[in-house]
Amino acid sequence: MRKHNANRGLRVFGLVTAIAFAFPGLYLVWRNFTSGADPLGLLFSNQTLQPLWRTIYLAGLVSVSAACLGTALAWLTARTDLPFRKLWSVLLPVPLVFPTFIGAAAFIRALSPGGLASEWLTAFGVHHTPQLRGLFGAWLVLTFFCYPYVYLPVNARLKQLPGSYEQTALLLGDTQPQVFLRVVLRQIGSSITAGTLLVFLYTISDFGAVQLMRFDTLTRAIEMNYLARPPISFAMSLILLALAAVVVVSERAASRHLPDIRTHRPQHALKYELGSWKVPSLLLVIATFAISIVAPVAAMADWALGGTLRSDGRPLTVSVSKIVEATINTLTSSIATGVVALLLITPIAFLANRHKDRIGRFTHSVVISTFAIPGILIALSLRFWTIRSGFIGSFFYDSMALLIFAYVVRFAALAMGAASVAVNAVPTALHDAAATLGADRRRRFRTVDVPVMKPGLLAATGLVVLSTMKELPISLLLAPIGFPTLTTRIFSSFEEAFVAEAGIMALVLVTASAFLSWSLVLRRSDAL
Amino acid sequence: MQRVIILISTTLILLGTACGGADRFEIDGLAAEIHSGECAEKSDEVVTIYSGRKENLIDPVLRAFECATGINVEVRWGKSAELAMLINEEGDQSPADVFLSQSPGPVSFLEAKGFLATLPQTTLNQVTPQNRSDAETWVGFSGRKRVLVYNIDELGPSDLPSSVFELTDQKWRGQVAIPATNGSFMDWFTVFRNYHGDDVATEWLKGMVDNDARYYPNNRSIVEAASRGEIKVGLVNHYYNYQEGAAGGSKHRAQNHDFDDNDIGSLLIITAATILNSTENVSNAQALVDYLLSSSVQQYFTDQTLEYPLAANIAPNQVLPPLAALQIGSVDFDSLGSGLDKTSRIIESSGIQNQ
Repeated sequence: MRKHNANRGLRVFGLVTAIAFAFPGLYLVWRNFTSGADPLGLLFSNQTLQPLWRTIYLAGLVSVSAACLGTALAWLTARTDLPFRKLWSVLLPVPLVFPTFIGAAAFIRALSPGGLASEWLTAFGVHHTPQLRGLFGAWLVLTFFCYPYVYLPVNARLKQLPGSYEQTALLLGDTQPQVFLRVVLRQIGSSITAGTLLVFLYTISDFGAVQLMRFDTLTRAIEMNYLARPPISFAMSLILLALAAVVVVSERAASRHLPDIRTHRPQHALKYELGSWKVPSLLLVIATFAISIVAPVAAMADWALGGTLRSDGRPLTVSVSKIVEATINTLTSSIATGVVALLLITPIAFLANRHKDRIGRFTHSVVISTFAIPGILIALSLRFWTIRSGFIGSFFYDSMALLIFAYVVRFAALAMGAASVAVNAVPTALHDAAATLGADRRRRFRTVDVPVMKPGLLAATGLVVLSTMKELPISLLLAPIGFPTLTTRIFSSFEEAFVAEAGIMALVLVTASAFLSWSLVLRRSDAL
Repeated sequence: MQRVIILISTTLILLGTACGGADRFEIDGLAAEIHSGECAEKSDEVVTIYSGRKENLIDPVLRAFECATGINVEVRWGKSAELAMLINEEGDQSPADVFLSQSPGPVSFLEAKGFLATLPQTTLNQVTPQNRSDAETWVGFSGRKRVLVYNIDELGPSDLPSSVFELTDQKWRGQVAIPATNGSFMDWFTVFRNYHGDDVATEWLKGMVDNDARYYPNNRSIVEAASRGEIKVGLVNHYYNYQEGAAGGSKHRAQNHDFDDNDIGSLLIITAATILNSTENVSNAQALVDYLLSSSVQQYFTDQTLEYPLAANIAPNQVLPPLAALQIGSVDFDSLGSGLDKTSRIIESSGIQNQ
């Protein structure tokens, strides 16, 4: 493989991006110094080691299960004759949009003993449902909220793999499972590991789900001590970031051995007939849909209806115009974030993967590690830096630009993995051929790169957009004053037990995300 | 072409009416119940609030304030603790004039850091000395009482204890929920330590852990779990059960139980208003804080959000249990700022978070 040297402009861009994404990490280091924290001493104390171990253990379990589930679902919807494939493709990314503080609560309301499902199951003679708490509860909820991190990029990758390798293997007498293991799995390996890495990093940074499931991880201690013992919060956050960096670097080292499969042209990938596997496969998809979407949505609908039809006749505290305002804000800010993230991340993916540039790889790692920093610290750090950067800071102080930038810092990692796989999928030979035929750089990009990368980049953007829609702490602390989003309004209502209002707006959020999932990601990539 | 002209002229007319009608605020619904009568003319004055009190509860009050004074209100909504941290980072450049906190902890944190301005005596004197800061930097404007929420299918009023100290009894083994890391619980526990001494408080919490008390992250999740029967009783603020009850109707299976009036379990947790040191907008900020303590707003808090009024001699709504001596009289919140650190240590080392 020939190495193409990157031009200087691209490398400077990479370096600037790395610095921009390092703001939260640098803030954490600074606050550790100024608050007299002792991250190293704390790292080896019992107070940290136990929750740290639980954090890693949970993240490992969730990664494995989300990777298996996400890959299986991607395979079934992309490459088989599963019934209602299109419908499932639109619905399966939806769990990404549940804010965990209400998503996990809805899970509990629906599935815990005494909840909605148990009333229903009692009618069928089932009287004991497991209590959703601790490791089991946190694992279950996070697996079903996080599998789309794997599902979306793997699905996009599967749809564009050249069928020739698989056909050859089949002709040579391999059975279908053998083809999957020997041929397909190797080709989608880099997409799976990239997605799984995101699952791991998301899990270690999550507050909402682990808290409601009462599983004591590092984030619980971080949140409890913001005001009571700030040095503990800052030190533990730095430990979280260090853990993320270690995992990101190890993943890079490990996935270097995975082959990059190049795609000569977008083509219809080979489809498989499920045969006798059709029923079990359909059951798996239905079960996933039931647990990850129907259960929480049923609880939200129960809240919404119970409150709307309530007996005391108290009026709702939200109005249609408030919901419309919040929905428009949510859609515009999350779509803007998706576009900006894509424009920022694609050059970095080129730099790191096409040009194998050192700055590119470094930026790649910084962007992905930042995903493990809790949103509240990203918000505080950007406020910290805007206050201390003179006129540039006052220009950005209370602006949409700062909000979008913060969202991008929080979520661009989601686009990074899928974008890298997309860049690697472009065959260099084709590029060289186009150059020989006299196509200039811009034309090569348009006619060679873009068509091959499109499904991967759309999946990347979809991940960013759906995740931004549910973001809470950055939206609360950095949005211009008077810019409510659906998530901030859901939070306000739910915290004060206005469950009807919260339920109604959560349903609007789910509907909006299903619409986006349909129009942004699937319709276009299928039309390819 | 004609169409374009019509479009432009219609737009201009609409803009004209919009501007013409914009010199007064308009309010309706609950806000209009707080402020009856015509609105004042809109002024250029703005007061910026960071509010840990949530929009659903307090927005009508702010709309009524705009109507009554003509001062525009801008709000950043959020969690009290996170807003306090934001102010801590923003320092003297914070755009906030007023900070409204859900519980005393976050204001005490800011007071200790020197971010709060001194309030005038006329404002402070509207509440009793226990419901304001000794350093004269913040004032309580509504209250939520600590209670024991219980599942009404499993227990009756006669089964329930009269003191939190009874909850360490074998009878309650594995049945009590505690929101041990929640802000208002940590504030309550800090006052508990101050009132009974560290030894008694630590011993009580250890007793609860030994008695297999269950940890939950917040009040709302405890009320919800009590209604489902997942736990039988839980230590919470009185407020949440009313909301869940309003939403769930007869499907909601939990009730509040009051401990004895002189028990620490009956403490009133106040919500606090404060003005930041950095603001140059003192008179508008002042007007807002005074408005929160006015009789119509205090009446709104007790009737609509079912909280305890703290000023203007307003009596609590009839559905609320009456407040007795301890709750307003003898427990001081000033220990909070310096006490949260130790509270956090005691709670973490008790191991309750792993229950």
